[in-house]
Amino acid sequence: MLDPRTKLLLSIYYAVLIIASGHFGWLAMEWGLLLLFVIIIGEAKTYLRWLRMLMPMALFFGAVMWWSVGKDAAVVASLKLLALTSAFFAFFITTAPEDLGNSMVTMGMPYAVAFVMSTALQFVPVLSRKAKNVLDAQRARGIPLEPGWSSLRHYPAFLGPLLIQAFQLAEELAEAMEARGFGRPNRTFLKDYKLRPMDWMAIIVGFLILVTCIGLQ
Amino acid sequence: MISSFILTHKLQYAYAKSKEHRALDNVDLEINPDEFLLVCGASGSGKSTLCRTFNGLIPHFYEGKLQGQVFVAGESTTGQSVAGLSEKVGMVFQNAQAQLFNRTVELELAFSLESLGIPRAEIKNRIAETAEMMGIVEFLPRNPHELSTGEQQLISIVAVLATNPQIIVLDEPYANLDHVNVRKVRAALNMIHKQQKGVVVCEHRLPFTVSDVQRMVGLQRGTIVLNGAPEKVLQRDIEQFGLETPLSACIGRRLRLPNLPLDVPTLKKNAPAISYPVDLKPSLLHSAPSDSSFVLEVENVSFKSDDTKILQDISFALRQGECLAVVGANGAGKTTLLKHLNGLLRPSYGQIRVMGHDTSKFKVSDLARHVGIAFQNPDNQFFKLSVWEEIRVGARVLGRYDEPWLQELVELFGLKALLNRSPYQLSGGEKKRVAFAAALACKPKILALDEPTAGQDLNFRRALGEVLAHLREMRQAIFLVTHDLSFAEQQAHRWLLLSKGQIIADGPPWEVMADASAMAQTNLEPTDAFLLYGNP
Repeated sequence: MLDPRTKLLLSIYYAVLIIASGHFGWLAMEWGLLLLFVIIIGEAKTYLRWLRMLMPMALFFGAVMWWSVGKDAAVVASLKLLALTSAFFAFFITTAPEDLGNSMVTMGMPYAVAFVMSTALQFVPVLSRKAKNVLDAQRARGIPLEPGWSSLRHYPAFLGPLLIQAFQLAEELAEAMEARGFGRPNRTFLKDYKLRPMDWMAIIVGFLILVTCIGLQ
Repeated sequence: MISSFILTHKLQYAYAKSKEHRALDNVDLEINPDEFLLVCGASGSGKSTLCRTFNGLIPHFYEGKLQGQVFVAGESTTGQSVAGLSEKVGMVFQNAQAQLFNRTVELELAFSLESLGIPRAEIKNRIAETAEMMGIVEFLPRNPHELSTGEQQLISIVAVLATNPQIIVLDEPYANLDHVNVRKVRAALNMIHKQQKGVVVCEHRLPFTVSDVQRMVGLQRGTIVLNGAPEKVLQRDIEQFGLETPLSACIGRRLRLPNLPLDVPTLKKNAPAISYPVDLKPSLLHSAPSDSSFVLEVENVSFKSDDTKILQDISFALRQGECLAVVGANGAGKTTLLKHLNGLLRPSYGQIRVMGHDTSKFKVSDLARHVGIAFQNPDNQFFKLSVWEEIRVGARVLGRYDEPWLQELVELFGLKALLNRSPYQLSGGEKKRVAFAAALACKPKILALDEPTAGQDLNFRRALGEVLAHLREMRQAIFLVTHDLSFAEQQAHRWLLLSKGQIIADGPPWEVMADASAMAQTNLEPTDAFLLYGNP
């Protein structure tokens, strides 16, 4: 497997290639290759779910372009948007956040930054569950927090408890981290982050392909 | 000479916020390296504070005033860092969710080892060993936040064990767990103790713990008031310290058995059931009212979420003046059922009628007039600056403001002295009382309480019992959701036993517990009272 930093660099190459491409054929091929990649690694289902979320945005973007600059440019632009976001989808689906963070730490990034990057994602579901519980508790006693403008007046009833609990959670988390030695110098990592010959080869070959493709176009 | 591993000497501590109040006062305690110790005491007695001095969180993480000394492995904690101490004393906090912050269980186990700068190969070995020993190998690649509450508690214990501390300290490990999970965690702790390690459990629910431990230390207002082997300590009256003596020990004491039995099997072995004093049998409620009108009717209700059936074909009814307890293990669907009462969730199939109204035709805010719910965590609802505002806000929004009734509630829940305080400054038990009063503020026909006793001590449980008795006299219909069977057996006329979203038994508490096959399905254990007095 490649080092997370190599993967990040390859994704950036790909993004540059997509941005530099202006023809429908090239873009379709670039997107097609990404699709193929996603299918090969067995993430087609996740990709489709994610695509469904992205589609409305791409269509809206395309419609605006069509109206302002015309049909061809609109198709190219929407395709560009899809291919570009798909490239980063492919990156994030194959790279765990802590791997990216920790490998940057070995290059000198402070561990605290890496920790925030990987842990923030962990707590998104926790907080959204808390938000749901607050909504339920308030609605249960008659405070109308149904979606819509009319409930705006009652938003303190939602945001107050949620924010205070987020702070409580942060405090408990800080304590647990402290007890487990967070912030001590000379941290080691369970996984080994090293640029191996494979990585260097991928970086160089990738760069050559990028230059060639841009040249061909 | 065996020297103690942890030693406190004239230990005093006051938190920065309340300087005049001493959370710990003159504590002298020695803990041996391979001891199984219970630290008990009512809420606010200083258990958690004492725990936090063992691994240096006090004084390094908390500001405040520490006097006296704490020695761990012969060195004062003031001279050691918290991280360094984690190799000697491991600490498991009450809220498992906040201490699991890695993407996989494996990384969770690795975290402390990485902090200590241990080489990679060694980290891998230690994780493999610890996971193997504690039987959690299958969990290693999973995300801790996707595990059940009981599994999370187990993982947070194992994560602390990875650094191989000599003593592991747990702050109320059983507070949020049902019997099945309590059993699992107890088994894990006993296994850790067998490895010549020390285990310190802080807990106020004695029946879960006394038969495991070698010694118990009782705290009251920061001072040690009890210290000795459970068999000795439980000879004394410990209720004055807000602690509950297990029923078997009560009976054993009365029968003057030479060795005080700490659990039901031991008592049964040592004394015949016929000899158990009748006056120690807890009083159960008489049969439920059968002539009053229905306030709630649930017919063939099923509920699906993401194609998973959470409730299946639930039918029951609740009468005015009746107290019904829905009991079942964690994850049986109890809270999901509760959320159906006021329309927070709508049945996928079937019908629910509250006061004769079909809930599918009404908004949550309309149903809230009839059903007052207090959820498990009161912090979810507090947003006003004073307790008084907090209690009346619901009634005001619903247009049901009735000042004399609110005054009555304040009296009933003993909140008079707290009315001007901020709800967030209250203790856990006080917060719950405010939430209960708020749920009753608009005079709902049905009062629903979600796990009202979770994490609460004897005094709270007693006081809540008295309030519920008073409400039953007032013909209030009560819907209890709980896995606290000993509370539910004394407070409810009737139990609904829930397992995997289905009702598998419905009847008076002791009749339900007598149904051995149904109880086995839920993995719940009958109460001590039933085991001792219920099986003639």
